Amino acid sequence: MKTVDIIRRAGRSLKHAKARTILTSLAIAVGAFTLTIALAAGEGARQYANTLLTSNIDPQVLAIAKDKSFFEGGKTGPQEYSADSSTIARGNGVLVKRLSQSDIDAIAKRSDIVSVTPTYAINAQYITRVGQKKYTVDATTYDSGVTQTVIAGSLPSLRTSIADDQIALPEAYVSLLGFNNAKDAIGQTVTIHLERTPNVTESQIQQAIAENSPQAIASLATKQTKDAEYKIVAIVGKSATALTATTNAQISNTSAKALSDFTTTGTDNYQQYTIATASVKAGVDPATVKQALVNEGYGVQTAKDLQSLLFTIVNTLQGIVIGFGILALITSVFGIINTQYISVLERTREIGLMKALGMRGRHVSRLFQFEAAWIGFLGGVIGSIVAVIAGLSLNPWITSTLSLGDGNVLLIFQPIPIILLIIVLMLIAMLAGYFPARKAAKLDPIEALRTE
Amino acid sequence: MIEVKGVTKTYGKKQNAFIALDDINFVIPDGASVAIVGKSGSGKSTLMHAMSGLDRPEKGQVVIDGIDILKLRQKAVDRFRSEKIGFIFQSFFVQANESSYDNVALPLEIGNLSGRARKKRVIEALQVVGIEEKEKQKARNLSGGQKQRLAIARAIVNRPKIIFADEPTGNLDSTTGATIEKLLFGLNKKSGSTLVIVTHDEDLAAKCDMRIYIKDGKIDQIVSEVK
Repeated sequence: MKTVDIIRRAGRSLKHAKARTILTSLAIAVGAFTLTIALAAGEGARQYANTLLTSNIDPQVLAIAKDKSFFEGGKTGPQEYSADSSTIARGNGVLVKRLSQSDIDAIAKRSDIVSVTPTYAINAQYITRVGQKKYTVDATTYDSGVTQTVIAGSLPSLRTSIADDQIALPEAYVSLLGFNNAKDAIGQTVTIHLERTPNVTESQIQQAIAENSPQAIASLATKQTKDAEYKIVAIVGKSATALTATTNAQISNTSAKALSDFTTTGTDNYQQYTIATASVKAGVDPATVKQALVNEGYGVQTAKDLQSLLFTIVNTLQGIVIGFGILALITSVFGIINTQYISVLERTREIGLMKALGMRGRHVSRLFQFEAAWIGFLGGVIGSIVAVIAGLSLNPWITSTLSLGDGNVLLIFQPIPIILLIIVLMLIAMLAGYFPARKAAKLDPIEALRTE
Repeated sequence: MIEVKGVTKTYGKKQNAFIALDDINFVIPDGASVAIVGKSGSGKSTLMHAMSGLDRPEKGQVVIDGIDILKLRQKAVDRFRSEKIGFIFQSFFVQANESSYDNVALPLEIGNLSGRARKKRVIEALQVVGIEEKEKQKARNLSGGQKQRLAIARAIVNRPKIIFADEPTGNLDSTTGATIEKLLFGLNKKSGSTLVIVTHDEDLAAKCDMRIYIKDGKIDQIVSEVK
């Protein structure tokens, strides 16, 4: 018997038992729905993560720490004490080794590295400008590897830093610092005020005592201050796909180093950095540079590492949803087996007749398996269509609720995974139909046709 | 020619063994109409099953056109039934949910005949039994007589050499039964196929060229009017 004829007969007998067919396939549809949504959400999340990364991170950039434990959350638990506290930062029970200036210099000397920028700790007291109040501020190094949303003014192209006397301010400071609008602020001067506790050497104290000058002693105890002035080059806004919220005032690398050196002079933190970013020369694979640095003992992460980290999270979440979908499928498998067994019992005579007419057992078995496959097909189509309709109509709401930003959607439906899913469901249904089909194939036609 | 030689069929084992067929021997010439007559439980149905390759008796031979069908592999027996045998049953066994057309098409589908040839044969068979206008109707909507006509159409559509009819008029009233009988004998004469009717109805048996009487699994008597 030709497969085409078997499939047509299978389709017809399902049509004759419409209610049963639809109810059985609805069970599969639940699984298909869950799996379609899981696939769409996984794809959407991956694409969104990719958008985030590509718009935030220069693929040629490396994040470098003193050793790899930094990227594993630091060393926890008791560690052997080291008197050299400058290389180690401790806090919250986590211990992190820090990069020293010589590390930075060594990395900067490499031929495959264009520039290295440590993350400077700048403890600025306030930001202000003439005739205005003082406001707290966090100053950071301008990251030339990130595209930012510029509201007013302009920033240099990627991989080029702003000038040493320039500053890029977040939007919030426009009104705080008394500007009418963002445009007015461009080119204006602001002051960042820094302080440090006095750092007094023994000889300085002895000299002051020898001079017996109260003013000299007082001046030794006075906090030292520094006022740094910058011209506003740009006002930056917050973008939906920005990973790093731009609430920081951004200054050039050199300025940041100067400010950091000022506030840390005489402390353990002087020229010690937890992390640095390095820009790999164009045309050089960041992964090879990473390997070289790792061999030297550094902890290094590339943009790709970060991507795979994000993808791991997405994949794990997707896996959980898929797990639920598979549970639903397992349930539906028993539904199919049950339905098909009943169908075989009901159609004992039909099976007997077909066998008497010379239909091979293999073909009888196939007839029932194809019926199961039809059920799987129907369930897959119903489930995925409902999922696509529901997903597409919910997407705008999800985007606005999760503030993913315009043009980004969480659920991305792709035809090929859905088609594959339906095919897999048909195969699963056929497998489920195997036992009832075998029962049908083994029926003795004489028994089946015995008239009572 | 159908030669049945020493066919013996036993049900059950040892002490409980029940001999359904005991050393049956006869020869049916091609194109004959044959009645296998016996009471219920006499073994006449079992004999039909053995002759049509549905059942495998443990002893004996059923030689049809020189081939012992009891020695064939299952696949070959299936093909033999599909190509050379037509069945008509007392309870019709038409597929109620299928249209007349699809009922009659089933043996051709099993026999791998497709396309235009299949369609032509189905329509022809429906015309022969006189229900061509019911082609698209579901079998369940047909009357008893029409159902048996449909079953006959299904039995002849693959142009079999032998048609087995198990009490073909048993579920029909006498008028309808008479037309079905006429149809069966007419086909037998016209197409030259062998007709084997299993029945306990003496009147029906009397219309056949040859009558094989079965009693308790043994041949009681063979009456032949075949030249």
